[in-house]
Amino acid sequence: MANIVCSHVDKAYGAVNVIRDFNLEIDDHEFVVFLGPSGCGKSTLLRMIAGLEEISGGTVSIAGRTVNDLEPRDRGVAMVFQNYALYPHMTIHDNIAFGLKRMKVDKSEIESRIKTVAGTLGLEPYLSRKPTELSGGQQQRVAIARAMIKTPRVFLFDEPLSNLDAKLRNHMRVEIARLHQSLKTTTIYVTHDQLEAMTLADRIVLMKGGAIEQVGTPAEIYERPRTLFVAGFIGTPNMNFLDVTARADGDTWLLDGDGVRFRVSRERFEITEGQGLTLGVRPSALSASPDARGGENTLAGVTDLVEFHGDSALISFRVGGKEIGALVPAASRPMRDAPVCFSVSGENLHAFDRTTGLSVLRNSA
Amino acid sequence: MTSRTRLPAVFLAPPLLILAVLAFVPTAYAIYISFRNRELSRPDGSFVGLANYIDLFSDRRFVNAIGVSLTWELVTVTLTLLVAIVLGILMFEFASARQRAVLTLIFLVPVILPRVSAAFVWKFAFHPLYGIVTYPYKAITGQPLDLLSNPATALMTVALVDVWQWGLFFGVIVLKLLETLPPQPFEAARLDHARPWQIYLYVALPMLKAPLISLTFIKMIESLRAFDLIYVMTRGGPGIVTETLDMYAFSQGFIESGRISYASSMAVLMMVATTVIFTVIWKRVKP
Repeated sequence: MANIVCSHVDKAYGAVNVIRDFNLEIDDHEFVVFLGPSGCGKSTLLRMIAGLEEISGGTVSIAGRTVNDLEPRDRGVAMVFQNYALYPHMTIHDNIAFGLKRMKVDKSEIESRIKTVAGTLGLEPYLSRKPTELSGGQQQRVAIARAMIKTPRVFLFDEPLSNLDAKLRNHMRVEIARLHQSLKTTTIYVTHDQLEAMTLADRIVLMKGGAIEQVGTPAEIYERPRTLFVAGFIGTPNMNFLDVTARADGDTWLLDGDGVRFRVSRERFEITEGQGLTLGVRPSALSASPDARGGENTLAGVTDLVEFHGDSALISFRVGGKEIGALVPAASRPMRDAPVCFSVSGENLHAFDRTTGLSVLRNSA
Repeated sequence: MTSRTRLPAVFLAPPLLILAVLAFVPTAYAIYISFRNRELSRPDGSFVGLANYIDLFSDRRFVNAIGVSLTWELVTVTLTLLVAIVLGILMFEFASARQRAVLTLIFLVPVILPRVSAAFVWKFAFHPLYGIVTYPYKAITGQPLDLLSNPATALMTVALVDVWQWGLFFGVIVLKLLETLPPQPFEAARLDHARPWQIYLYVALPMLKAPLISLTFIKMIESLRAFDLIYVMTRGGPGIVTETLDMYAFSQGFIESGRISYASSMAVLMMVATTVIFTVIWKRVKP
């Protein structure tokens, strides 16, 4: 059990800086997810913590001990790889036992621990098989068993579910969550799948281009995205964006854009007169109100596309030059080419400065 | 194959026919005369049955040659593979991509050299008076060092040349094989408390088991054909300490007595023995 502290961590490949000044403290027992698009440096960072990549600058410490110059085996970490990375020539039993054998753990002790771990992960019937004789999900379970059996201080997961099909992915995600609930080992989990991040994480570290965009609980990140990038990255279907300009009108702000006008209270946003903003509103925050057509805080247009999702349907229509998506109950979905109008309440609006991309939401709001 | 034209057959038949004639006619003829008492000096000869074969087993020089041949196989195959694996791992572990490319080129040179040339070069290098290898010994002790005429060192010295030619080349192959392996199991092993040598011993080499076995077989077959190397460097000497089966058969047939039937029986026996032994080993170790 251990906390992890990254301070001013840099990673450079030659002249290219892939991670810049990364600072993060991870508490004991915490489940932290590094989330971001491909190439944002999240896997590199994980591999630096594991010791598989050199740390170019700054320090990483695990349980209060700086590990920059320690071999991976001496860091007390265990890692699960995306492609499982099992030893192909060994049986499942030997795969799981390999680390303990290297640590010179007593034979009878190894056997009893394998029994426990295999029991937890349902691997008993497969112990004498080779990895190639197992399905992807089973192989990943072996990889988790191999990591678990060493009772590491830190678990590192590098996109462990990306090679599995959708159904198995859901199943394994639940298993990993349950495992963490019982073991409570400090965990860093790298993924590009926001569903995995939202469901598993105590805290999400959202990264872009080698730097942190936002750190927060899944709810914080969803409800109060700090930047335009976070707002666009988190949430399915994607958030709608509209360009508007702010103008003071009494004790409210008027936000005018191409074919839209929003009126918002001054308490929610910190805006200056004439500021260019990007307004964000999630498709699920649009509520159908056919009578309000043309009024303030409404989005109206002609249905362009209807995507049936089961319980709900995603309606696409154009407002000004922008494509807008709205999530409506499937039962009341309009036909194609039908006129639609949705109203948006002020507390569901997000706004970002158009030049910096930073949220202008007040901290108190 | 359901090839619609006979064109492939038309083109393949003549060369295959020539190859078949070249391969099977001498073999058949060798078997034929091994049952006769033909000698180079006499045009005739008569059927003697298995007499040649029976004589072989009371021939101490033949028994010696079997021993030399087996030693030769064991030493050259083992050392070549050992050198190859160690070199391959060292290059994989310590050399940059550019260094690997240069080393690969250098290590390929010996095997490209015709073996007779290599044999002459090394024979000269081992020359007791002018050789570059023996020079330091001579300079320090004042005594010439004649490795090739010393019964204790002759075979090993020739084996050294063979290993120089093939060990370096196989080292390059081992390097290329290591480069084809996925890196993740290595990383997993590093996290699994394995030290570098343990990673190679328990993870990398077992993953390369099948190609390494193939390499061993290639070298075993190659070592059987070391006649030219030994012929140039020692001619089987001093005495008969480097006289392998093919050397002995050659000298019985062409150099000493011209007993072509006796030599043929040896060749036939070698053919049968190698076929049987190789088949058995192949079946055993096939992964």
